[in-house]
Amino acid sequence: MHALYGMGIVVLSGLGLLFAAGIIIGEATDQWFLGGALIGALLITYSFIILLLRKMGMIGPRKAER
Amino acid sequence: MSMTAAPPNRYGRLMTSLLRVTLRLDTFINKIYPTDFNPLYYTGGLSNLFLFVLVLSGIFLFFYYEASLGVAFESVRYISQDVPYGGIIRGVHRYAADGFIVGILLHLFRNWFTDRYLFSRDNPWISGMFLLLFGGFIGFTGYQLVWDERAQLLTSMFIAMLRSIPAVGEPLARVFLGGEGIGEGTLVRILFLHIVPASTLYVMLWWHYLRLRHPKIWPPGVWVLFVLGIVFLLAGVIPAISGQPATPSARPTSFPLDVFFMLPFWLLNWLSPGVVVFLSVVLFAAGLAVPYFSRRETVADMGVRHAGVAQVIDGNCTGCELCYFDCPYNAIIMVPSPGPGLSKAAANRTLLAVVLESRCVECGICIGACPFEALELPKFMERDVQAHITNAVQPTQA
Repeated sequence: MHALYGMGIVVLSGLGLLFAAGIIIGEATDQWFLGGALIGALLITYSFIILLLRKMGMIGPRKAER
Repeated sequence: MSMTAAPPNRYGRLMTSLLRVTLRLDTFINKIYPTDFNPLYYTGGLSNLFLFVLVLSGIFLFFYYEASLGVAFESVRYISQDVPYGGIIRGVHRYAADGFIVGILLHLFRNWFTDRYLFSRDNPWISGMFLLLFGGFIGFTGYQLVWDERAQLLTSMFIAMLRSIPAVGEPLARVFLGGEGIGEGTLVRILFLHIVPASTLYVMLWWHYLRLRHPKIWPPGVWVLFVLGIVFLLAGVIPAISGQPATPSARPTSFPLDVFFMLPFWLLNWLSPGVVVFLSVVLFAAGLAVPYFSRRETVADMGVRHAGVAQVIDGNCTGCELCYFDCPYNAIIMVPSPGPGLSKAAANRTLLAVVLESRCVECGICIGACPFEALELPKFMERDVQAHITNAVQPTQA
């Protein structure tokens, strides 16, 4: 399962990189709606990366919930 | 004291079914997410996050918005199309408003189905109902500020509803409009009615948290990222747009419906304004009454209530503060000790626990928290509990 989660993180990181590039393109070409949507997509990608890291046991749980 | 409860009525059975569904949903989501990430545990925190997003995006929009009949529509168009990322911020404001209402409704139903609104929890329930009411009203005034044909029609319908209220309706309508009809002062008033109640929401949140010891006011980071992401994504993919500009000659008869803010206006298709106002008032009053009229069991059914307000046994209290930290109702405070306790452990205390009777719900948590036997429920003492247990486990006489 850990390998699967690791693979997911790699894929999501790659997606995140694409979204970041898209944000730059959106900004450079004044396509603000594209840039804004990709900011959202990037944040969602980050949230899934954090979820997978948590499921792998590499972060959390918070001290109060151990 | 009887320990046998009356059989649950139809409402009680329904609520028990809903409780089971809620808990099954919890269990299912806990299989997908770690328990500390389960969003259902943070519905209140998520609403708070949406509110924070609303405030920040609202401040941005406020810098560019002009509350004047002739300019308001154009200023919103300018924000959406000419200000860098202005359209995104407008969309974020719009979708965060929907998220705020969805979060509050989820929070409301979850706490209703899990019985977390009874007894001393009536305070967060009542304040939550006001948060929902104000949230709905603020969203409605937000739609008016755009001043397109929908805003114009909404204003006309709202005025009709106000005027249907006996005695105070007409003066209220004049105050809302700033005159006999829609005029230059109207949008300024609507902007006022958008921003001031929005600020008041934080006062209501203070009221909401007042009696809660450890409220989860913020969701975990993963959900902060997800929520921000989803509102930005929606704002970019489905931008918030205005309709045709409002004009005195326009006579719009329909508009796109936002189910979270415009349901009362939808009802106007079939009901008169007076009936819609009456139904809204009845619905809100019923919501306020829920903690008092929808208990599955009466206090008598529960049997274990009426244990008496918790009392501190002065001589045993060491001032350790364990009860103070454990009481979920903020019913225990620590005061400087007027003198040493009687027990050896309490001889050098500097603090003394005091129970605030108005807040104590007689739950007994403080008794479990205290290792020094310094608290008791006077009508429900340890020896009585042991007697009940002993009786309960006695084999039935043939």
